[in-house]
Amino acid sequence: MSYNNYDNQYSTTSYGAQGGAGGGGFIPGDGSQNSPGSANRGYSKDTLRPVTIKQLLEAQPMHQDGDFKIDGTEITQVTFVGQIRNISNQTTNITYKLDDGTGTIEVKQWVDSDASEAQVAARPKLVENDYARAWGKLRIYNSKRHVGAQIVRPITDINEISYHMLEATVVHLHFTRGPPESLNAGAGTGAATNGSYGQQQQMGYGGGIQDMGGNAGLPAMSASAKKVYNVLKTMPQSNEGLHQQAIAAQLNMDMGEVARAGDELLSAGVIYTTVDDVTWAVLEVD
Amino acid sequence: MSDATPRILATHLENFKHQNVRILGKVTQLRGENAQIDAGGLITILLGRDSHLTLNHAVEIIGKVQQDLTIRVLASTDFGTGVDFDAAAAVVDATHRYKEIFYGDE
Repeated sequence: MSYNNYDNQYSTTSYGAQGGAGGGGFIPGDGSQNSPGSANRGYSKDTLRPVTIKQLLEAQPMHQDGDFKIDGTEITQVTFVGQIRNISNQTTNITYKLDDGTGTIEVKQWVDSDASEAQVAARPKLVENDYARAWGKLRIYNSKRHVGAQIVRPITDINEISYHMLEATVVHLHFTRGPPESLNAGAGTGAATNGSYGQQQQMGYGGGIQDMGGNAGLPAMSASAKKVYNVLKTMPQSNEGLHQQAIAAQLNMDMGEVARAGDELLSAGVIYTTVDDVTWAVLEVD
Repeated sequence: MSDATPRILATHLENFKHQNVRILGKVTQLRGENAQIDAGGLITILLGRDSHLTLNHAVEIIGKVQQDLTIRVLASTDFGTGVDFDAAAAVVDATHRYKEIFYGDE
């Protein structure tokens, strides 16, 4: 296996191995486009989940390749906030021990040997007992879990801690209980909350909350699938449903993307084909 | 979870005797080795050697609840003056209402 070095602001070196032997391997990139490790999955499934450290320590391992599930849904990137208990500077990485009151976990931030001195100096300095926010992936190595982090930043607003705990709670409830019913009415407050979530989260989660109107049972899916589904639900149509082309025109999406979204919805069992393979209608369950 | 420090308010002290907890409160009194903080009620805390509290600042205390419902402080962090205590109270509420992601056994 060979992985390219992705040169971005937070660039890291990847050592090739990943998954079960994840100690040396680290996949850079923001997850939505460049994920060589998940080439078999497709980028539309990458998500960013706010979690508590306890959730990371108890996340269910899926298969051999080191993927995890939290609250029954796969996680890719996670974010959390914790107090730095320890900083250990090693040759290849800086290891922070983060404690958020729910548990403690090691967070490894890979040292970028290519970064210039100015770049390194510009990074905010973290000290023990500071609170920091981390973004990265949960990994397991020699049966010990840690987070391979792309970003570890100090907290600037002290209320971010409270905010994160509440956000993690909401997301946890979303995945275990479904979206809150009050959103189905499309109420103003519901919409206001949704707006901020949509901006902060990537597709998988943001799509889940934004979809209202009795779709409590809708599985998590990509944003384009959600859009196509909503058009099928709301656009005036005959009992034959809508043709893929009409959907593409309505949403200003290209045909390939509509076709992929349609496949997702078909395999999720929420739409069905009518007169031909590219005309769909919503599967109504009364 | 062995090293979890659940966030609590004064009302929870009774239920967390002899356990390590995390409390965010406002410093109301400083009396040498003791201090008093307001976290949904007044709590007396016994300070360690390296605790430096500032009156009227918010402080996050990690400590052990004593038999008499005072707290023996293990660590303290000054949180300054910008704390939204309503948000903090909401977090405590969420901690106990949905404790599966905050503390305790799975």
